Amino acid sequence: MFRHAAFALIFCLSSNVLFAEEQSAKAINDKIRERFERALAQAASATAASNQVKDIFARAAKAVVKIHGVDEHSEICGTGFFIDPTGTLYTAYTVGGEAGNFTIEFGGKKYPARQLLADIRSGTAMLKIDEATPVLPIGKSEQMEVATPVVSIGFPLDLPQTPNFGMVAGFDRKYLGRYFSTTHMRLNLPSQRGEAGAPLLNMRGEVVGIVVSSLENNSACYAVPIEAAEKIRGDFMRFGEARHGWVGINVSMAPKPVEGSVAEMTKIMEDTPAARSGIKAGDILLQVGRKKVTQPEDVLDASFFITAGDVVPITVMRGNQRMTFEVQATLHPASKTGLLLAAPGTPAMNQQAIPLSLGSDVPPTP
Amino acid sequence: MDQPRVDPDQELVKRTQSGDAGAFDELVIKYTPRLYGLVYNMTSNHEDTNDLLQDIFAKAYRAIRGFRGKSSFYTWVHSIAVNMTLNFLKKRGRRFQLSLDDVDASIQNDKEFLQSTATSSPVREADLSELQRRLNEAMMKLSDEHRAVVTMFHIQGMPHAEISKILRVSEGTVRSRLFYANRQLQNYLDEFRKNPVS
Amino acid sequence: MDEFNDNEIARLLRLKRYEQPPPGYFENFLHEFHRRQRDEMLRQPLWRICLERAHSFMLRLDARSLASYPAAVAAVLVCAAVVSLKIYQQPETAHVALQSPPVLSAPATAEGEWSLSSPVAAQIFRTQPVRSFNGSAQTHRAAAPPRYVLDSVPVSYEPTFRF
Repeated sequence: MFRHAAFALIFCLSSNVLFAEEQSAKAINDKIRERFERALAQAASATAASNQVKDIFARAAKAVVKIHGVDEHSEICGTGFFIDPTGTLYTAYTVGGEAGNFTIEFGGKKYPARQLLADIRSGTAMLKIDEATPVLPIGKSEQMEVATPVVSIGFPLDLPQTPNFGMVAGFDRKYLGRYFSTTHMRLNLPSQRGEAGAPLLNMRGEVVGIVVSSLENNSACYAVPIEAAEKIRGDFMRFGEARHGWVGINVSMAPKPVEGSVAEMTKIMEDTPAARSGIKAGDILLQVGRKKVTQPEDVLDASFFITAGDVVPITVMRGNQRMTFEVQATLHPASKTGLLLAAPGTPAMNQQAIPLSLGSDVPPTP
Repeated sequence: MDQPRVDPDQELVKRTQSGDAGAFDELVIKYTPRLYGLVYNMTSNHEDTNDLLQDIFAKAYRAIRGFRGKSSFYTWVHSIAVNMTLNFLKKRGRRFQLSLDDVDASIQNDKEFLQSTATSSPVREADLSELQRRLNEAMMKLSDEHRAVVTMFHIQGMPHAEISKILRVSEGTVRSRLFYANRQLQNYLDEFRKNPVS
Repeated sequence: MDEFNDNEIARLLRLKRYEQPPPGYFENFLHEFHRRQRDEMLRQPLWRICLERAHSFMLRLDARSLASYPAAVAAVLVCAAVVSLKIYQQPETAHVALQSPPVLSAPATAEGEWSLSSPVAAQIFRTQPVRSFNGSAQTHRAAAPPRYVLDSVPVSYEPTFRF
């Protein structure tokens, strides 16, 4: 009987071992297969990503053009891209804003172009050629987040059309101590001279920004969000020019948050739409148009998107009372001269009239 | 304060005027480093500085036959440099900004803003490179004319009298511009001092 | 509260004297200057070059430099030679590369580059085919490479929070 028990034990043990071995062999196989599949998937997604970028470049490249111009100092070169089928194109202000004699290289040929609009505040300009052209679709920069991949296409130096790949590094309101006119996208995307005006594309190939300036060593760059350029283009379609709006409020930091906002309207300028609307100094700003405000910096974006002549609902907190004022914006004082605030009391600052010029030029201070 | 002095460059200028190309080359070699500093601190851009320096020397070269030695060559060439740079800066691009008179007020607002966001953590001693960086930012905020006097006086080490000759303004104007510019720079660096992490 | 007084600002600003351009910049500067001068010279019309020649010749006479006298004679002779050469040459392919005072010394190197060995009172003319003249280039600047645009600072800014 002992012999039977021993035999049975040996049988059990050996069958366990065999069974375990079979299990471990199976486990090993599974592991190997899993790793192989993962590697395949990674290779596939890398291939997919690179295919995506190549695909974007292949589709978008034909709508991106090289711009030649002549300014006071020399010939200049930059980049632009078509946004409607009749030859309207966007570029940076530094390319299309202060030069003339524009020619565009497109489809292997050169075409003369004229300036439609140049807006220094947004940093953009629009040119036009008289040809049927391909178009880049417009996307939404609001959907971009830090680390979102992006593609740009430009003409660096005297080189041919070149794709660029990078990612969103941040959304900045200021650079080197100076505030932008509206939040700019910062990209970890190497940009070379000649690429001002290049389109910034999301991974669906839609334009979400226009490259306007570089950071140190060209390793990163800033792009104006496409919504800012579209606001200016909208003004152009409605009025033939950019119409930056102005209500006349000075904002700074409130000592304590009120309804989540520390943006206090510390000064209401005399004889401005805000002064006439009933808004008072000391009111806390909560919302301007569709833009919610929680800190003084937020007014930059809110302000940029106001169009002169439009009625802007401004929501404030006065004590415990939430109030909304409908304020009709007038023309931003700096938009005409580019330099100066008109003297208070200028007759042009009238809530009813939409002035196209301010009527009085104050000489620059020495 | 004009004492009769021999212009150290007189010899080179005379030789240039009588057809000696190498003499002008020596003047170029002598003045390029000094003028580089002057122009670069006004434009903050290497390429623009390079273009401007080439234009400045080209202009000096064309005009040197008419140079009568009423001022020193140093003053004359610096005058060309400053004026060409100021003209260039005016044309380089207008800035979308409100009244220059209100700059002080805007800095005041910024100060209040920064004061109220200052945390209770101890303000660290700013190291020199950070201060320098802030100073560069502050310089860029100055107007072109103010940056010119700051550059000439503090960076180039030129006396008030020399600056006034170059800019063709009174010494009083030079001093008052310096005072105003120093105050601006001071305010800006004060803000940084109160809020070093921004 | 004056945390930074004038002396502090002055000290920081003085440190900026040591900010330097990229290495090799000054060495290359003179070379670039000469190149631009050559370009500018090539744009001058012949009559103007001869006029400047004559003018500098008069100046040299005033300076009483005897050494320049034979050079001046040589200048007149070569000027005449150049004018006659010009008459026989195709205008699009060959341009007279003349020197206006002060003079760049010759001879040219094998590549046709001007060299600057020593200051020379003698005037040396060179006729060489240069790149065909682009009629649209009005100034020396237009022949320089174009400026490829990508600024390192934004083009405008808002000084404070107002709207």
